[in-house]
Amino acid sequence: MNLNFIKTICPYCGTGCGIILQVKGGRAVTTLADRSHPVSRGGLCIKGWTAHEFIHHPDRLTKPLLKKNGKFKELSWDEAIGLAADRLKETVKAHGPDAVASLSSARCTNEENYLFQKLIRAGLGTNNVDHCARLCHGPTAAAMAYALGSGAMTNSIADFSGAECILIIGSNAAETHPIIMGEIYKARDNGAVLVVVDPRRTEVANNADMHLQINSGTDIPLIDAMMKLILDASLENREFIASRTDGFTEMKEYLSQRTLEELSRECGIPLEDIRKVAELYARAREASIVFCMGITQHACGTSNVYAICNLALLCGHVGKPHSGICPLRGQNNVQGACDVGALPNVYPGYQAVADEKNHAKFAQAWGRDLSRKPGLTVTEIFAAAGTTVRTLYTMGENPLLSDPNQGHLMEMIPKLDFFIAQDLFMTETARYADLVLPAACYAEKTGTFTNTERRIQLLRKAVDPPGEAKDDFSILCLLLKAFGLKGDYADPSEVMDEIAALTPIMAGVHFDRLGTHGLQWPVPSDDHPGTRYLHKDTFTRGKGLFVVPKYTPPKEMPDENYPFVLNTGRMFSHYHTGTMTRRSPFLDREVDKPFVEIHPADAARLGIVEGGGVTVTTRRGSIETFARITTRVMEGSLFAPFHFSEAPANALTIEELDPDSKMPELKVCAARLEKG
Amino acid sequence: MSLREEVLTRVKALLKDRRVDGVLGLSLFEKEPVPCLFEDPFDVDALVIEPKWLLAKLAMNILKTAPQEYRLGLVCRGCDDRAVTELAKRNQLDRNRLTLLGIPCTAEQARKCLCSTPYPREIVAGERVEGMYPMNDEQAQLFLTGSMEERMKRWARELNRCIKCYGCRNVCPICVCIPCKLEDDLWVKRGHIPADMVSYHLIRAFHLSDTCVSCAGCTDTCPVNIPLMLLQVSMRETLKSQYAYEPGLDPERVSPVLTEQEKGEGTLFQEPAWIDSLRGGS
Amino acid sequence: MTDRTEDSGNIQVVLEGAGRKIVVFACTWCALIGADGAGKKRISLPATFRVIPVECISRVEADAVIRAFTSGIDGVAVMGCHLGGCRHNGANLRSARKLELLKPLLDTVGIDSRRLFTSYGTAHEYHQFAQAIESFCSQIGEMPPVSAWSRSFVRAMSARGENE
Ligand code: SF4
Ligand code: SF4
Ligand code: SF4
Repeated sequence: MNLNFIKTICPYCGTGCGIILQVKGGRAVTTLADRSHPVSRGGLCIKGWTAHEFIHHPDRLTKPLLKKNGKFKELSWDEAIGLAADRLKETVKAHGPDAVASLSSARCTNEENYLFQKLIRAGLGTNNVDHCARLCHGPTAAAMAYALGSGAMTNSIADFSGAECILIIGSNAAETHPIIMGEIYKARDNGAVLVVVDPRRTEVANNADMHLQINSGTDIPLIDAMMKLILDASLENREFIASRTDGFTEMKEYLSQRTLEELSRECGIPLEDIRKVAELYARAREASIVFCMGITQHACGTSNVYAICNLALLCGHVGKPHSGICPLRGQNNVQGACDVGALPNVYPGYQAVADEKNHAKFAQAWGRDLSRKPGLTVTEIFAAAGTTVRTLYTMGENPLLSDPNQGHLMEMIPKLDFFIAQDLFMTETARYADLVLPAACYAEKTGTFTNTERRIQLLRKAVDPPGEAKDDFSILCLLLKAFGLKGDYADPSEVMDEIAALTPIMAGVHFDRLGTHGLQWPVPSDDHPGTRYLHKDTFTRGKGLFVVPKYTPPKEMPDENYPFVLNTGRMFSHYHTGTMTRRSPFLDREVDKPFVEIHPADAARLGIVEGGGVTVTTRRGSIETFARITTRVMEGSLFAPFHFSEAPANALTIEELDPDSKMPELKVCAARLEKG
Repeated sequence: MSLREEVLTRVKALLKDRRVDGVLGLSLFEKEPVPCLFEDPFDVDALVIEPKWLLAKLAMNILKTAPQEYRLGLVCRGCDDRAVTELAKRNQLDRNRLTLLGIPCTAEQARKCLCSTPYPREIVAGERVEGMYPMNDEQAQLFLTGSMEERMKRWARELNRCIKCYGCRNVCPICVCIPCKLEDDLWVKRGHIPADMVSYHLIRAFHLSDTCVSCAGCTDTCPVNIPLMLLQVSMRETLKSQYAYEPGLDPERVSPVLTEQEKGEGTLFQEPAWIDSLRGGS
Repeated sequence: MTDRTEDSGNIQVVLEGAGRKIVVFACTWCALIGADGAGKKRISLPATFRVIPVECISRVEADAVIRAFTSGIDGVAVMGCHLGGCRHNGANLRSARKLELLKPLLDTVGIDSRRLFTSYGTAHEYHQFAQAIESFCSQIGEMPPVSAWSRSFVRAMSARGENE
């Protein structure tokens, strides 16, 4: 009997749990939990347990498709690659390299992301390559890199269980990163105090020791108040501040300008509660801050992250075990995609494009002259689509559902000269493409994913892609060749060797070292065991920097016509745009309808009943969805998950950008609710 | 010869003599264990017997999907042995197609699993060690004693964390019903965590009341560390004290809640005093 | 275990009464006759119980009892024929054993098993029925209401934790 068990990595969230695919006669039939995996240790969430379900879905794309007169026609790979290369070259010739823009993918492997950005940078000569990290942790990367020198989670997942105090801000980890939540509960069982800051009474809040239900988007006033209180009580870590940080004087000066009463009023939390939390955090020997989209998806997302760094620096809670600043990355490989340079301003390993030395190094390694100009970000790309951006190439992204202000996107995309989409399914976005390239999913390829704790892990091929679909690695090799670049890599391990040679933080990463436990970067040399926590004796940038945050209240506040605050996010049984989870029968059965959470008082006032149809409208659009009446949301607030294409929450959100990281404000906007 | 070598020799012999078509066990892959269906005697050198890894359900699925004549060997511990017995009793697998290679657990493993019978009925080699009773374990006692209110608080704290991963159901070797009530909106409301979790957990626990082979699989897999196996302890004790019945130990005996006849007696069961609230005595 | 779900649908109805809520699953061959008799004789009984007739108490699944408790029912009574005197081939004995096995599970998680009242062959006459119900109701009356309690079960550690 042809039965195999293949160890690989869960394709959903950034936790990077170990799964074992049971493969029978070339089909993945079951998912098992990997008992020897260092992070998940034999546990998985509902998505992990069903990770095999979408693999052989009949909707998978099996042939390259070209749109002619509004209809897709099949074509051969030779034709498809030739056409893609020609159109890209033509655009470069006619409008210059910056007329091409591209989106790489946090779903694809490190090797694929590396090749993708190499193709765009060396093959086309533009830095217009970005991916959806912008929409989750763009602000994190920007702020933490500036204040600490590295944008990554400072500590490891296993580190939580040793902390004395854990502060979770704007993260519903129980639904979005369930396995990490297990570690946090372990800490609580060991005596740690768990404090949750969230406008919604989330699952995490239900299981915490304290819940601060702040007004949406007021994290900065809250943290500023905490810092003031810590200073008032002389609980700051003076030695740490003196020896390891810069900018404290300015920080103090800034804090002295605001009164506690003002700050407390702004965030809506009584001063006493803030004091309690501030003291818990400051007095703990080891304390960690966990945060997520609730911090970053605001127009002042970058400043929110600065505020968090400030708090950790003030108490010296960084650079040691069990104590750190822990952004939880959303997608399985969003960390890796950033690490290997799928960003418009940096080469692999966060080496700035604008830096002459880096430019020279990569130009020499890739044998091409490269652009010195940082490229466009996701949101800028769509703003320029059809005007200065003429041709678009996306790999495994579904911006139509994941990006803000869907209506605007739908108008812009058709204005492009040519649009190439590479994906598993005919997604909402791919439907708009001219050329669709069928790609392979996680179970059909070899490569590496980097999880949220910087652990580079091996992905192993379990089954073949359906029909003529190819893994992104092979597609990219064909395109690289078409552009006269090296495209004859024997396998992805050779690509990783190339990455290692060019990327100091990953210099010692090679496939044969990864085994089951992987390696946590920085891995500066071949004999380095990897790094459990960052900033041990010095910060990556030298000293930790206090940065005065610039607080901007949410752009759109509720008013007469739009009296609700609308919040968007994820829920436990679905993942992002639902391309995969909604094609998993088990997950779709769990929740098969879109919904919006409404407070019982609001529902009663408007005569809305549980499960009844409602319409949510904002200044940008309107969706029809179903009511879920719950006290998880505050009165006057709504929450809508964005997984459902029939009621796309991002048709409602604003494009308001964070000036520093260009992050759209997905978390707060004003909305109107109607029955029916 | 070590236990592993002993098992290895047996597996090789079984395959060479074609007494089985495949053996399900663990193999080392890039230095880490992973389940493996050995069909070629030459592959068997990779076989390992640690760590504890429940295989009975996998074995059942293999037999269900393989051709009728396929015979399977299974490297199994006490819990898997008991699970096989229960599955066979419920017509979920054909015992005649299965050859067991039993291995005893270490005392340390038995402690970890709170296992009272850390060995299968027949062992290939090695030594049997004493079992362990949950009621003798301090941690376990915390969850099984105290006033009603204390118990409720303690379990509420635990069950409230549930992320509804269905892992406890998925790994349980004898949780095999199709359809499963835990997926039915009538019993467990869909799309919410942890709402309705109490019915989720109690229904799951109760469905296994007379089949749970105390393998600790549910406790091991729970990502939020709920000591799920402890839910079974009091029901197990009841079965033992009132019917002298332990799931998985006797292939011949039908569960007392599935029959009104008792083994050997051949008569209708006498009405027991304890069963009626009005008569007291329970 | 069997897989019948028909009888659980009725639970919702019972929820609407005031005070402590008690569900009585009464076998049509015995306890229901007692219940009818009590009704005809206009015996005054605690108003908070509802009788759900069942063909045999084997129709009452333990799952339905669990579901009842978690949806706010304070007490569940299951009343059937003598064990050994079942019209359905002794089905009631198997069922009685299952319910008996449920009691320790309820106790484990802190749902007092005295909230599950089982009685066989003792409620055929109206006065027997009335007496059984009265004593069960008064017993339930001494326990805290499950509604407040089951909510706290689900939300015991809610919002601000134990401090509140
Ligand atoms: S927690 Fe994340 S990585 Fe782990 S199983 Fe769930 S979705 Fe997959
Ligand atoms: S209920 Fe738990 S301990 Fe019992 S057989 Fe199932 S997995 Fe094993
Ligand atoms: S394994 Fe744990 S978290 Fe998962 S469903 Fe069971 S109890 Fe809930």
